[in-house]
Amino acid sequence: MHSEDHNQDHDHPHDHGREHDHPHEEISITEAPGYYDVMETAVRELLVERKLFGPDEIRRQIEVLDSRTPALGAKVVARAWVDGDFRKRLLEDGRKGCEELGITFYDDTQLIVLENTPDTHNLIVCTLCSCYPRPVLGLPPDWYKLKPYRSRAVYEPRAVLEEFGTHIPNDVEIVVSDSTALVRYLVLPMRPAGTENLTEEELASLVTRDAMIGVVPVNYQKRAA
Amino acid sequence: MSSEILVKKLPNDIGGDAGGKIEMVEHELLPWEKRCHALADVLDFHKIINTEEKRRGVEALGSEMIGKLSYYERWIVAFSNILFQKGILTPGELATKMAEVESRYLTDTALSKANG
Repeated sequence: MHSEDHNQDHDHPHDHGREHDHPHEEISITEAPGYYDVMETAVRELLVERKLFGPDEIRRQIEVLDSRTPALGAKVVARAWVDGDFRKRLLEDGRKGCEELGITFYDDTQLIVLENTPDTHNLIVCTLCSCYPRPVLGLPPDWYKLKPYRSRAVYEPRAVLEEFGTHIPNDVEIVVSDSTALVRYLVLPMRPAGTENLTEEELASLVTRDAMIGVVPVNYQKRAA
Repeated sequence: MSSEILVKKLPNDIGGDAGGKIEMVEHELLPWEKRCHALADVLDFHKIINTEEKRRGVEALGSEMIGKLSYYERWIVAFSNILFQKGILTPGELATKMAEVESRYLTDTALSKANG
């Protein structure tokens, strides 16, 4: 009754809602909410009735969640590439560094930024569950949270990286960092060669979500003029 | 397999286990899943259930439920159990409220059919 997919066709989240070029179907719920959907509504309503939180707080938090995407992390990375003093502060205290750029942390988590160098490649995983730095990356995709990545990243990172086409030479050390509920990690990837003349914004556009957990490098291919 | 491993490694503790090929699956959250995520954050802000309590609550569901429920299904069931344990809600209250939510849906559907 609650498969992951079957609702998506008619009730999909509206991340591209404003740019629909096809007529919007009437929003209607065509089947009864599932057991867990009902449970969520019931728990929330009971807690609001008990005044444990306000009726508007869930909606406001959904807006916060929707506002968080890997573009924020990319902005942090690009700033670190162009501003050595910022980079130093960011590596000392990741959370404060992000906050300097106006990226608020809506939770109690600390952030440790790990810098990739020619000698060291960092990879991030949460083996126990799904703790990634959501304030700067947004919600993690399913595969960060599923068994193959969580179980294997810690004992065969080189093989895992090869699956993503990321070849790390044997003389480069791979450091795998395993998050906890309160301490999250972000990888500061190496700035790709040939990007000396790019603006900070152009640099940020090269940085992907997966590069910031260390599964892929940041690539730059200069476009033919 | 010896039972020892069950004691040493709880269901969430899978780092280092054998695992298959990494399939890069992701899905857009369903509306209720996103609400469930926001609920988790709000419970954390108000110090009702923090992230680590939530993780342990999921682990306490046991490996069979962990295997069969989806990610957010595990969360909402864990929240319910933790709220029972803390004496904030009772199972009876939740059951009554769930029945109310369902009947509200059925009433709404009947009304919209009558009006449509």
